[in-house]
Amino acid sequence: MDFILLVISSSTLLLDPLNLTYVVMGFVIGTIFAAIPGLTATLAMALLLPVTYTLSVETALMASASIYMAGMCGGSITAVTINIPGAPSSMMTALDGYPMQQKGKGALALGHAALGSMFGGALGALLLIAVAPFVAEVSLLVKTTGKFSLLAFAIVVVVIAQRGRIPQAGLAACIGLMLATIGLDAMEPITRFTYGYSNLTAGIDLMPVIIGTFAIAEVLIQASSTNDIAAATAAAEKVRIRRRDFLPPLSEIRKIGFVCYLKSSLIGYFVGTLPGAGGSMGSFLAYTEAVRTSSEPETFGKGNPKGIAASESANNAVCGGAMVPMLTFGIPGDPITAIMLGVLVINGIQPGPQLMSDQAGLIAPMLATLLFSAVVLIPLTLYLIGPYFIRIVSVRKDVLYAVITILAVVGSYVSTYSTFQMFMALGMGVLAFHLRRNGFPVITMLLGYILGPNLEEFLRRSLALSNGDPTTFLTNPDSLFFVLLTLVFIYFLVIKKPGKKLAAVPPN
Amino acid sequence: MLVKRPPLFLYVTLAVSVGYFISAVGLGAPVSESGLTPSFFPILVGGAAIVFSSILILQKIRTEPKEPGASGPRNFTHLWVVLAIFIYIIAFKPAGYFISSGIFVFVLVVLFSSFEKLLQKAVISVAIVVIAYVMFQQLFGVRLPTLWG
Repeated sequence: MDFILLVISSSTLLLDPLNLTYVVMGFVIGTIFAAIPGLTATLAMALLLPVTYTLSVETALMASASIYMAGMCGGSITAVTINIPGAPSSMMTALDGYPMQQKGKGALALGHAALGSMFGGALGALLLIAVAPFVAEVSLLVKTTGKFSLLAFAIVVVVIAQRGRIPQAGLAACIGLMLATIGLDAMEPITRFTYGYSNLTAGIDLMPVIIGTFAIAEVLIQASSTNDIAAATAAAEKVRIRRRDFLPPLSEIRKIGFVCYLKSSLIGYFVGTLPGAGGSMGSFLAYTEAVRTSSEPETFGKGNPKGIAASESANNAVCGGAMVPMLTFGIPGDPITAIMLGVLVINGIQPGPQLMSDQAGLIAPMLATLLFSAVVLIPLTLYLIGPYFIRIVSVRKDVLYAVITILAVVGSYVSTYSTFQMFMALGMGVLAFHLRRNGFPVITMLLGYILGPNLEEFLRRSLALSNGDPTTFLTNPDSLFFVLLTLVFIYFLVIKKPGKKLAAVPPN
Repeated sequence: MLVKRPPLFLYVTLAVSVGYFISAVGLGAPVSESGLTPSFFPILVGGAAIVFSSILILQKIRTEPKEPGASGPRNFTHLWVVLAIFIYIIAFKPAGYFISSGIFVFVLVVLFSSFEKLLQKAVISVAIVVIAYVMFQQLFGVRLPTLWG
């Protein structure tokens, strides 16, 4: 209850003009990046990271929260209007959104998408506010051996969740873990893998890893792409959307039903709590559930607003769910929460069980912003600049990528005023580019890099405490719980493989 | 019979994994009387990386090769972008922010479009560099290198 009151009282920070500017700007930029095919809200977050050095932690986290929420709903714009989802999480939205657009109801489809996003985002944020303190309390009960098993669980789940490319995911995780071992050892005064290069003694900084992985790699992907984006631009220029058409009639909302919004949001929220699952999985499961329980399943895929509502409610509810493990255990569920974790680390805040109890005041404004973004910014942005959204696709790509590149490269200079970090960002960008081009999921590399130091430290501490007895991981109840949970996930995702439909969901 | 050749990237990751593993072994014994040593975890990770790389290479060798030319046209712009970023970083401090960034942005704009309307692109490049300068230096208080002073 105290935490809920803290979130309510911290909402007053949104009245501060500077904070509000960053929140609104973050939302608009997140929407634009999510709407443009090829760009993502993750990229927007990566570009924001250097800026966080000059902002207060609260402001940086508030801006991050609004980008996150915008990123989940922004992808629906191009999904509905030109059948090209701006983000993977909006893939299911295109199934019914684009047929509606073809029937001349594109604005209405966007209105349904916004309403679903608003509901899902708000419910996800409310559940997060209500649940996170309890999870944080429970997480305090997890001791050293349990912490190792939990981190191992997170890495294993992210790897096996990469349907059809587990070896690639495993290798990417190993690359992340390798990067994490460079520099001073956490427990003994020994440097590892620095090869006499003093700049590496402190290890590889998070900033160039994130900027390289998400910004520079994206620019290189776009540079190497032979896709004809002119067709998308031409299609976008033909689309006309009027502001008055956005509002969905009450009869249609009633037909979709409160239960559909609620169920889809809950599915999205719980999927979000799983590492690596993400918005695309959440919207897929909610969509299939909506089809399964519908009295007219044949209408889905032909312009049924219920499909849009289910998909968008779920992917925005993922935002709240994904923050639960990030805030309580320091385990990011997707690339955006990984960057949010970076914002905390850069500002000297250690994420984990203590965060919610010791520094709840820093976290509360972010959660208030998540709710504010869902309830106020989604409908407001749609209504005010909705008719112009589709013009975003027509932006000059040469200028756009030049801007992104200079912001990314100069941004990596900011942390230490050293060109070494710029070279690191370039190196990470080239690595991530090749990983992505060869079908490797970069999220597993990032998770390996982020969780690696703690994974190693808890492993060594656990075995030191048990005099080298590895059965300690099975005899401690907290550790045993996560070992069993890992086995359950391995059973359902690897041994008893999920259905073909689930396997067809593109990874985030 | 056509044999599918795995991408060079997989061989590079295998070579790096082997190099990492050898370096990890060179750190000393993985276990001592006081428990696990700094080499234990890297040996584990390096070993796993070698296994995964080998699996992927074998998988690629065993899969059916694609028809020649099925991969579509190739584009090498990304190599030029990498080279441009590399030279930009080298020139960043000696040449200062404005000169290095001005040329860098202009090159990128041309790389992502075509070798036409160069004057217009030069003006756009200058505008981008000035806006980025205002954002970093004036708004966020970041000290950017200058040619003089």
